[in-house]
Amino acid sequence: MSVETMNRHEQFLRLFMANETTIRAFVRNLVPSRADADDVLQEVAIVLWNKFDEFRFDGDFRIWAYGIAKFKVLSWIRDQKRDRLMLANDVVEMIATDSHRMDNRLQRQRELLEFCFHKVSPRDRELLLQAYQPHSIIQDVALSSGRTVAGFYQWLYRMRQLLQECVHRELAREASL
Amino acid sequence: MTPHSTFHELVQRYLEGQISHDEMDRLNNLLRHDPVMRERFIESMNLESGLSDLIAGTDFSRRNAPDHRSRRKARAFAPWFIAVSLFLVFAIGGIFWRQIPSGIYAVVKSATGVNEMTNLTHINGDWHEIVAGTLELVTDRGAHVVIEAPARFRFESAQRLRLVTGRLAADVPPSAKKFTVVTPTGEVVDLGTKFGVDVSQNGESEVHVFQGEVIAQPSKGGTRQNLYDGDAFLLRAGAGETRELRSAAFIRPDEVAALHAALKAGQPSRSGTALEKLRTDPDLIALLDFESEENNPGVYNLVQGRWPGSRAPEFMNVGDHMKLNVGEGREWPQLTLAAWVRLDRFGEPYQSLLHTNGWKSPEILGQVHWMVTNNRTMRFALFGNQIAPGQTGDHIYSDSATPISQEAHRWVHLATVYDSDQKIARFYLDGKLNNEARQEIAYPARLGPAQIGNWNNHDRKLSGRIDELILLGRTMSDEEIRALYDAGNPYR
Repeated sequence: MSVETMNRHEQFLRLFMANETTIRAFVRNLVPSRADADDVLQEVAIVLWNKFDEFRFDGDFRIWAYGIAKFKVLSWIRDQKRDRLMLANDVVEMIATDSHRMDNRLQRQRELLEFCFHKVSPRDRELLLQAYQPHSIIQDVALSSGRTVAGFYQWLYRMRQLLQECVHRELAREASL
Repeated sequence: MTPHSTFHELVQRYLEGQISHDEMDRLNNLLRHDPVMRERFIESMNLESGLSDLIAGTDFSRRNAPDHRSRRKARAFAPWFIAVSLFLVFAIGGIFWRQIPSGIYAVVKSATGVNEMTNLTHINGDWHEIVAGTLELVTDRGAHVVIEAPARFRFESAQRLRLVTGRLAADVPPSAKKFTVVTPTGEVVDLGTKFGVDVSQNGESEVHVFQGEVIAQPSKGGTRQNLYDGDAFLLRAGAGETRELRSAAFIRPDEVAALHAALKAGQPSRSGTALEKLRTDPDLIALLDFESEENNPGVYNLVQGRWPGSRAPEFMNVGDHMKLNVGEGREWPQLTLAAWVRLDRFGEPYQSLLHTNGWKSPEILGQVHWMVTNNRTMRFALFGNQIAPGQTGDHIYSDSATPISQEAHRWVHLATVYDSDQKIARFYLDGKLNNEARQEIAYPARLGPAQIGNWNNHDRKLSGRIDELILLGRTMSDEEIRALYDAGNPYR
């Protein structure tokens, strides 16, 4: 492998790693689960590298990556079994466009979430930690929390609302400063 | 129910993977026609991303800590797997990462003496079994895992390795945090560490933490344990108990390259040739390479020795031992003792390399105790001997001038050459003369019934493995010891 390719590769890695969280979040907006997002992101990374020669040095890597990620999601959706329930193609297009437009706000919301997460009571935080572990099984977490599965989902729903409200509140507070 | 709450319910069911066809159609329609709903949907999904990122970067042990700013964006590094795969594969053979198909969880970086696999073998979710050697794997998230034969394992994902039998040592970078080893009796979850897991033939598993922190979770509802540097824990179904750290029980990633290089350089056959020559030495008292089918009696495990597929006794607990009875019925004015050892740890009690039982017998003078002291020095003690003034030792017996090694858990070669006529004991560490200790009083050595790994007082141990123990009834020269070390060295 030539030195030039190695340098190019290193450059790619820097850009990819710097933007990876955002690209993942973008993909996550378009697919049903976190695991799906992981799968698609791997494919996206491969395409990004394969096409990296086409990327202009002065271009915006993130925007370029979003474009490729959207197409990868669409082809991924096409390859899924029919019984999998996913967003329709035209909706994916719309969500992708909106996500891109909302990019800064979404990023700030993710950052504020960290603040809001720590305002949750330790007990609830513990349960959220368990529920969002990569391999967690909701049934097990529900059981250990002493709730029924349905009850646990209901609790999760409330927690998400609580966190979302907190994030909105903090965002509004920042805007008023 | 308002249309608004219906929308949130739909999103909730979509997130839970429980949405029906009709509901999905409704959700798609709402998103298609209502920009406000779309924004809400995007924010909900974004919250999911944020939570997953946040939690992936959260340390279990500090989950309730108030200072959340210190852990910002740990998740941002997670798929370093891309980077790691790339660099890894560059480093080990120039194969391109994009050639690694999905469903491949790890790549063999080094297969040392493993017949079942070669370097760069892609590891998928199949079961794998190795009967000899050492395998170094790199997962696609960059965790280095060394598995020592005999072992049976399979990857359930890049982050989840099921080990049914065998030993592994893992060096887990932040990108592979939460890497989990599943054993028949529990799970070990990494929190950014170096750790080892040993699953014995009976399925019991031990976890040993060399650095950092792991969670040990016994199966069947046992209490979860957070383990830190130097901790060890036995995982039993429904329970568990603390164990003593056995660092030498595991071949670590930083050791593999040197082992592999030695194997490629033909060290095993070189060692074999040297031992064959030694077997014809008329002064040979005993040469224990532990390869024969007839095992010496005692309490020990037979595990892999310095070479793939070879055997070496391993001792764990105080009192574990191997019995031998050689060189009885005569005096040995000259004596050479040599062995390869791999010690788990230093400190109390003394580590017994060879202790004759006759220390309290009528023929007491000259009884041999060869050991590593709590100060890590090698000691050669003959009953009745007295070191000359000013010599290194404990005022009676002589020691090596320096500790045998700065760190435990690697193979080291120890040798002592004793000459009662010259009143000299010479200590060698890894083939090099370390100390020549003059003796004020020097009796000929006396051998006979003895134990490796213990003294019959049950107050000694040898926490680790021993290989190629040699007792020779003459002195060896510096050159001979050096040659013995060079020929038997498992590292390059």
